[in-house]
Amino acid sequence: MKKNEDSHSDPAWNLAELLERVDNDQELLRDLLNIFKEDFPLTMRSLETAVAAEDLQNSARLGHTLKGMLSSLGGVRTAAAAARLEAIASAGETASLKGALDALKCEAASLLPELEAYMAEVRH
Amino acid sequence: MKILIADDDALSRRLLEKTLERAGYEVTAVENGKQALEQLSKLEAPRLALLDWVMPELDGPGVCRAVRKRSEQTYVYMVLLTSKGTKEETVLGLESGADDYLTKPFNAEELRARLRVGERILLLEDRLVEARENMRFRATHDTLTSLLNRGAIMDLLARELHRSHREKKSTTILLGDVDHFKRVNDTYGHVVGDEVLIEIANRLLGSVRSYDFVGRYGGEEFLVVLNSCDPAFAPGRAEAIRKSISNSAIQTAKGSLSLTMSLGALMSSDWGLRPVEELLHEVDTALYKAKASGRDCLRMAQPTTRTEPATAPVLEPARLRR
Repeated sequence: MKKNEDSHSDPAWNLAELLERVDNDQELLRDLLNIFKEDFPLTMRSLETAVAAEDLQNSARLGHTLKGMLSSLGGVRTAAAAARLEAIASAGETASLKGALDALKCEAASLLPELEAYMAEVRH
Repeated sequence: MKILIADDDALSRRLLEKTLERAGYEVTAVENGKQALEQLSKLEAPRLALLDWVMPELDGPGVCRAVRKRSEQTYVYMVLLTSKGTKEETVLGLESGADDYLTKPFNAEELRARLRVGERILLLEDRLVEARENMRFRATHDTLTSLLNRGAIMDLLARELHRSHREKKSTTILLGDVDHFKRVNDTYGHVVGDEVLIEIANRLLGSVRSYDFVGRYGGEEFLVVLNSCDPAFAPGRAEAIRKSISNSAIQTAKGSLSLTMSLGALMSSDWGLRPVEELLHEVDTALYKAKASGRDCLRMAQPTTRTEPATAPVLEPARLRR
């Protein structure tokens, strides 16, 4: 649980780290955000279905995919929430799965507006 | 340098692709392990690969294991990308055959540095392969003429005789000896003698098909193996080879020299499957007859002329002929 507590001190979106990763390439950054905008909702929907069906294997796999996607994009806290969900599903803790999904959605709710705002800003 | 990226996450794939293109790599990106393995099995495949650990179809360690099972292809330097962090998982990844691993999300500078390590390893491998190939060439080729040496052509001949017997085809063996070669060395010196041998080797190579063999059998003796050679055409082909030496003078540092070659020949279809040494003895006897008939000619070994027992001393008659 320590990791969970620590992650609250992280920003929802670490733009500085992402800019470093893309070598300040704004075009690449826009590309990544567009891919994310398309892939994230689809993966989330699949995850919700898997969690509702208590499908541990697919929940773990989709949690892993989201963790990778979010961490590449600098969505530190949301990535940590996805990692927790993956760990819970891998450990077979069906009872905790729904709570982990809610936590992930909660983190995503604070990340997505930041990304949208940035995209709107760079578009103009 | 070519590099393969295999990652099922489009975002991560795009990020890697761009980062590596910017670093000067020629990138191929695929989205699962099966596609990665297909790419790595192609001719001129990338020799650097970045493989995500968790992928559909076949995971990163699975790709590593499959690549390492192959022994015939060149080395592929593989880096696993993983968000898994435990020591056990790292060990598992490396034991699957990966050379290195990198934790996601990656740092661009660290990624480039690790790939440079991979390039250094591949460069070392290239040098090692080149050195091994050079050694193999030196062990099987004559240093002066670069033709196959005696051991190598004997091995190939033995293999070819078995093959032609199995496939009911005929192999023609030619043993050629440069006429009066000793005079060249005595008159013009060994440097010119070497020039002559090199030119003769080139002419012999130029007068056979790409799948025939030409070797230096001894000092001025050359062995030519005409694979799958129709017996009806064998004498004609042997004559053409003989004429390739006598048709035009050889240019040397001491002027042009006209030389000829005597040839003994044998068609394996006339003799059946016999030990190589025995057949070479018969070809050598035919060569001896060509020498005795005035040189610059061809004599075919005929089965009916064979009177010696199989254990007869090998190649003795040839020592009389120069």
